[in-house]
Amino acid sequence: MTTREIRARGIVEGTAAGPALIGDEAISFLGDVDIGTGQIVGDLPSLKNASVRGTVLIFPYTRGSAGAWRFLYQLFKHGNHPVALITDTLPDPSVVQGAILANIPILCEPAETLKGLVANGARVAVEVKGDAGVIRIETP
Amino acid sequence: MELTRFENEMLDGKHGAAKQRAMQGLVQLGRAFGAPRMIEIGYAHIHAGMALYLEDVELMEDLADLGAAMAVPASVNIANADTVNWQQTGAPEKLVRLQQRATSAHHKMGSACTYTCTPYWAGHWPTWNTHMTSIESTVTVFCNSVLGAKSNRDGFFAVYAGMTGRYPLFGYHVDANRRGTQLFKVDTTLSGTTDYSCLGFHVGRIVGEGVPVFEGFASRPNLDELDALGAALATSGGVALFIVPGVTPPFADVVQAFGGAMVPEAIVVRRPDVDAIYDYFCTGTSGAFDIVHVGCPHASFEEMKHYAELLRDQRVKPGVEFWITTSRAVRTMAEEAGLIRVLDAAGAKVISDTCPISCHFARTTSPDPKLGVVPPPIRTVVVDSAKQAKYVRDMIRCDTLLTGTQEAVLTALTGQFVSRRA
Repeated sequence: MTTREIRARGIVEGTAAGPALIGDEAISFLGDVDIGTGQIVGDLPSLKNASVRGTVLIFPYTRGSAGAWRFLYQLFKHGNHPVALITDTLPDPSVVQGAILANIPILCEPAETLKGLVANGARVAVEVKGDAGVIRIETP
Repeated sequence: MELTRFENEMLDGKHGAAKQRAMQGLVQLGRAFGAPRMIEIGYAHIHAGMALYLEDVELMEDLADLGAAMAVPASVNIANADTVNWQQTGAPEKLVRLQQRATSAHHKMGSACTYTCTPYWAGHWPTWNTHMTSIESTVTVFCNSVLGAKSNRDGFFAVYAGMTGRYPLFGYHVDANRRGTQLFKVDTTLSGTTDYSCLGFHVGRIVGEGVPVFEGFASRPNLDELDALGAALATSGGVALFIVPGVTPPFADVVQAFGGAMVPEAIVVRRPDVDAIYDYFCTGTSGAFDIVHVGCPHASFEEMKHYAELLRDQRVKPGVEFWITTSRAVRTMAEEAGLIRVLDAAGAKVISDTCPISCHFARTTSPDPKLGVVPPPIRTVVVDSAKQAKYVRDMIRCDTLLTGTQEAVLTALTGQFVSRRA
């Protein structure tokens, strides 16, 4: 087993680990994810029938809704939340606020493109302290 | 991030656990968005604590118990039930009782418990250059674009800003970001708030998170029309600010609206663009609907007068459910002006604190099963607002019929859907 380390910008502090779930589309937490189950219900072809529960969710960016924080926080309240978020670009303020409330670390702008480096289900660990973030990808 | 002595003291817990928690959150938010420092705010529009979401009212109760108090004037956003006249909405009593607990928490924290998405009609009217924060995007866009206050589209942290009187300096608090990104020339005559709502929905789709600048209005839009325009822009797009030169402070003309930079070529908006939004939100069959709704965003006193004029000595067709939603403050004013009597006599239901998409009709919520919330079977809602239409579709998950305000009232009176389209 090898571990590959990639640096990223730390947005919300914390540590977490879980299987990677990779989406190609922007995600809106208000509407795209069912808070009662963690299932993707929005029209996101790359994530069809997937559940975000327990995953390190990797996707390009968040789609704006000022209500997003409440849905991310509700996912956490129901135990159906992703354990960490990794995005290409800085998420909306509302998503960041929901993640701080729910202690879900967020990293963005990874130093290398994750696509191709990490497969769905691969174990990924993240650590954010201040604005320093590290992504560790385990490959068998 | 550079903090003042007082801000550092709050962060260190010298001013209590509540301010410390709030400051910790705000500092993290500021760091994420590269804010160099905090700014002092003058107003906060904060989360109600929503009974339809698991342990969400408790979120506000916990803050109140922790000793949170509003450091600046604060109003409270829309709630999940009419906490006073709830029986006429069919809401389960346990849901209402839970929602009422949020009222106590707000009283304890010193926030004005307005329960509305239009606190400005209830007297919360921040002025030019007032830094503020809002959990409701309709409030953000109205205060930025009509009043010249400065606000981002926020989430829960509006309450943290209210508790500390601070917010990190980024986004629409920075003048350099308060500039037009795209010019729209309105080449059609708009009439009634729903036309403005459709214009906003159309333009919001095009600008996304940009700042649209409008020219070409036949006359200066009134406050209700500006409210409708902004609410729709903030729904289909991520708009926080629109500029109508001569209306939006401090922009006197189109050149100023673009910060002296080159004015881009205008995108022309014509009648078919507006009509297309009406069509987009007419998915139901016109013979069958469950509810007719007006008052999104929550109606102003002027709108209440308008409804009363339309309904005076008329009678809503038996079997038709007609909802007018407004804030409790406007409701009180309307009551004192004799308007509620007219609306009651006509068989309309005047509901405050909530609205169709915010109440127990919504299917995207996940309430505590003990509350006994079962969304009623609703197939079609007639609305006069593109914002309400979008969220009826997404949250109640049913069909909509979008029409003008006058036509919506006529629909309620006749029991037959009256289209705004010729």
